Amino acid sequence: MPSDTIAHKHPLHARRAARAFHFHLPFSPVSLCFGTVAVLAITYIGLIAVVMSYAVLTVEFSQSVRNDEATVATLESQYLAAVAQITDTNYVAAGYAKPIAKIFVPTQSATALR
Amino acid sequence: MRAQFRIRIRIVLAFVVFIAFLILARLYFIQILQGQDYAQKADQQFASNSSGLFDRGSIYFTRKDGTLISAATLASGYLVAINPQTLVDPEAAYAAITSVASSSLTHAAFLAAAARKTQVYIEVAQHLSDAEGTALTAMGIPGVQVLRERWRYYPGNTLAAQTIGIVSYGSGATLTGQTGLEATYDSTLSRSGDVLYKNFFAELFSNVGRLLVNTQDAHQGDIVTTIEPEVEMRLAADLAKVNTKYSSIGSGGIIMDTKTGAILALASYPTFNENDLQNINPQILSNPLVEHVFEYGSIMKPITMASALTAGVVTPQTTYNDTGCIHVDGNRICNWNYRSHGAYGIIPMQTIIEQSLNVGASWVAEQLGQEKFRAYFTKIFGQKTGIDLPNETDALIGNLYKPQQIYYDTAAFGEGIAVTPIQMIRALGAIANHGVMVNPHLVSAIRLNSGVVQQLNWGQGTRIFSAAAARETTVMMDALWDKALIVDGVSARIPTMSVAAKTGTAQLPTPTGGYYNDKFFNSEVAFFPSFDPRFIILLYTDDPQHVIYAEQSLSTSLLDLVHFLINYYNVPPDRGFATTTSS
Repeated sequence: MPSDTIAHKHPLHARRAARAFHFHLPFSPVSLCFGTVAVLAITYIGLIAVVMSYAVLTVEFSQSVRNDEATVATLESQYLAAVAQITDTNYVAAGYAKPIAKIFVPTQSATALR
Repeated sequence: MRAQFRIRIRIVLAFVVFIAFLILARLYFIQILQGQDYAQKADQQFASNSSGLFDRGSIYFTRKDGTLISAATLASGYLVAINPQTLVDPEAAYAAITSVASSSLTHAAFLAAAARKTQVYIEVAQHLSDAEGTALTAMGIPGVQVLRERWRYYPGNTLAAQTIGIVSYGSGATLTGQTGLEATYDSTLSRSGDVLYKNFFAELFSNVGRLLVNTQDAHQGDIVTTIEPEVEMRLAADLAKVNTKYSSIGSGGIIMDTKTGAILALASYPTFNENDLQNINPQILSNPLVEHVFEYGSIMKPITMASALTAGVVTPQTTYNDTGCIHVDGNRICNWNYRSHGAYGIIPMQTIIEQSLNVGASWVAEQLGQEKFRAYFTKIFGQKTGIDLPNETDALIGNLYKPQQIYYDTAAFGEGIAVTPIQMIRALGAIANHGVMVNPHLVSAIRLNSGVVQQLNWGQGTRIFSAAAARETTVMMDALWDKALIVDGVSARIPTMSVAAKTGTAQLPTPTGGYYNDKFFNSEVAFFPSFDPRFIILLYTDDPQHVIYAEQSLSTSLLDLVHFLINYYNVPPDRGFATTTSS
């Protein structure tokens, strides 16, 4: 059994040895707390920044989509107006003559239809 | 010394934690419990609307090639507001605003608004274009705010106005769908409006889940209709011509896919511009095609005939002795052409449809018997169609529960019972669809915000008539189109396309229960190709002037629509007569 262990020394020596062990930690608990708080605070601020940036980008993208849709709607309006103009055109008044005859193209297979 | 230091540190730490909890508690009370109150107070002072820019899902038409065209969407632009407290020169501000855009306020009203110094926000112009908004912003007028704005926009203006519907504030504080599809699908089209103004702390406390998964995306979206814009436009144009030519009270029409019940066009006249709702009669907002009932006259005869054929009480070869007029329960029923033609004598069933004989239809109803007649007509008209439009009206078929035979005899040719146009086209569509009555509908799919496209299933329909009865009735209607229908002095017959049709003319009812002798309701129906139809068209015009019969008022439009649909959809010929006809 080893003879130089703390357990075999005088109790006073053992307490001093334990205190010496405490003082030999590479960092203090207070520093650890400060460090942790600092990391948390930076993380928190970073998180806020990320979330807010995300929200701003989302809003901008959403508005961009809506603006594009509005532009498309304008084009669609022009398309529908053009169709309406064609539908309402009076071809006789526009100078076109009514056809004197219509030729109807017969179906390829009449027997199977009726 | 070190023990004292630790105690101090702990005290400081406890103090910091305590302060943090205080701040958190305060934040909770301010942002969660009292957040709305504060937001409202802030909005009242500085903003026009707490929900930010208006947002709402789109409604789409579907072209024949599947391309979606907006029926209702959003337009973006600017609004102009003034802050009377900081507005220095109202005269100059008004001049600047009106030089860029027409203000909705008059000069006097603008000055009155500018004089209201207790207020900080008064809107004076809306719906400015991007160019106008940018130009006004560049002027930098003190007290004049140029703000981004979005509003509901309908690219088609009057196109399918009653069907698409409108949004307005109604009795609430938010814009909601009030009529048409805007109302029916309001929960899908509405947007909560809080997306742009997320409160970070509030979201952390109360909506962490929603930050990750937005459940609204699962039920909010855009709706895709079955309406084909060019078909709709053609129908609307034809109705406008009829209504204008005959000075009718109103006209309407529906074009439906006979197999699926998908409505390709649904229009009525008069209509309105959805982008300009000022000074319009609120009654015009309703949709007569689903909300009004009419007595149609003879287009009811094919339904009577198909019912009798299905019941087996008559066959196409059955004959009866047509006397031209009959007396039922003290009332006289005559054929429309009795004075000119007299009695037809012994004739087959086809002649009843081909010549539209009231006496013949009454005879068929009597063969069917009251109980069976009531059973068929209740099955056809006893329920609403379930079309996805609001305020659908029930048919008025109460006369079929009375014992007098006169009610059944008149119902057989379309008088004494009143149904909506959508019910009528569904019933006649059953003849076209080999006896199966489909479910008419306007929306085929919902494009959810989540990206999922939800196809709507409208069911397979209900068998009303036997397939044989439907075909036999179609033969009769087909013969009417080919042999009897004259349009502008020329036969309607199309050499390479069979069309089944029926015209209807009913006397309009008086408020006291009788019928006018000089006021009529005209209706007309056609489906083609007759024996494997793709389209069914129903037209009506209410109280046309200087005309009696539907053949005179509606046939030109009906023929135009038939030819238009054949050409537009490239419907192949279904019979083989190679013919050249003079126009």
